[in-house]
Amino acid sequence: MTNPSDAPAPEQPGANGQSLTGRYYGRGIPYLPIDEYPGKLFVVEGTDGVGRSTQIQLLREWLEVKGYGVVETGWTRSPLMQPTIEIAKSSNTLNKLTFVLLYATDFADRLEKEIIPALKAGFVVLSDRYIFTALARAGVRGVDRQWLRNLYGFAIAPHIVFYLNIDVKTLSRRVLESRGMDFWESGMDLKTGDDIYDSFRTYQRSLLREYNSMADEFHFRVVDARRSIDRIQDELRRQVAAYLEPAEKPTEPALAR
Amino acid sequence: MTFSLLHATDFADRLLYKIIPPLKAGMVVLADRYAYTAFARDVTRGVDRQWVRELYSFAVRPDLSLYFRVPIDVSVDRLVARRIKLKFYEAGMDLGWSTSPVESFKLFQGKVLEEYDHLVQEFGLQVIEAAGSITEQQRLVRMLVSQQVQMTRGIEISDDESI
Repeated sequence: MTNPSDAPAPEQPGANGQSLTGRYYGRGIPYLPIDEYPGKLFVVEGTDGVGRSTQIQLLREWLEVKGYGVVETGWTRSPLMQPTIEIAKSSNTLNKLTFVLLYATDFADRLEKEIIPALKAGFVVLSDRYIFTALARAGVRGVDRQWLRNLYGFAIAPHIVFYLNIDVKTLSRRVLESRGMDFWESGMDLKTGDDIYDSFRTYQRSLLREYNSMADEFHFRVVDARRSIDRIQDELRRQVAAYLEPAEKPTEPALAR
Repeated sequence: MTFSLLHATDFADRLLYKIIPPLKAGMVVLADRYAYTAFARDVTRGVDRQWVRELYSFAVRPDLSLYFRVPIDVSVDRLVARRIKLKFYEAGMDLGWSTSPVESFKLFQGKVLEEYDHLVQEFGLQVIEAAGSITEQQRLVRMLVSQQVQMTRGIEISDDESI
């Protein structure tokens, strides 16, 4: 019943106490059964500007040097939806519901067209953000949590979810040092105030609270993102190696006697 | 999935801008198709039945839902007579069941109609037999609608609404 390797009892939609790793969270996609596939899905989650893309880049190079085929996917990168989402964001007609549904459509497109085919073909899929970003953003905007979990019941539970954890103070400095604060990442649509800096801090603080509240539910491996890029990367590599290598042994060819 | 989610997005947009405000203002809203179309069509495309119902749980439950039912052959004849070319998705050509649009339409819409029959029970849709005369159908529709409207007729202008 319960998987002994999952220390905290998993509480995920669609199953009671069963590990869903690598399978659909909820009702799934009936016309795309995913019982057996050789690939692995690793997710790097975390708020805006926390350093996800840098870590994924480094992880990808390292995996490729080790001989793995790697496919990367990221939020709103679906060719079907990216232009639509950009147009919708630049107009003033988006509300929280259509926002959520556009993101879900983008995700569904990438899941069906990129993630699942890559997993079936034996790739390691590195996902820059996953459904948790959608759950956090919508949660902050007051969308019903159960409805959201049902909605994303077609998502695959990743093999590992790394959550890059940070505090708002460090995050503010990091974002200001790099590209500055942007309208949506500062939650300016929530109209908590005109000042982008204050709005950023308020919004990101609630976002971080949302992410943290999901840590147990979705088995996040929490990584302290305040450390240097190299130290974070070392930790990610250690955990990925521990996950991939024991699984490989049975298929390794016997060495010459 | 994307087909289903894009329609849900469009629906959510229309619900929040075009349906809920007039309802709040006490007006009558006529909707040409509603969430039931998605229930029938998306399930036929292989989406989970329960999932799509939960997806649309933000929709307002209509006061009256009319389902115009026709046999599949009547439907095809009418469409072919009017505009000859069947639309790609309407004919379910994306499912690859048949290379002939008419054949594909019959197979796909036939399944859609079966789903509708389940919906009639589940959501209490009022069936209008749509193979018959337009005048008769319209009489029945007017009768059903007037029953609904009479209950809510005469929106009073309250005194606290200053002009």
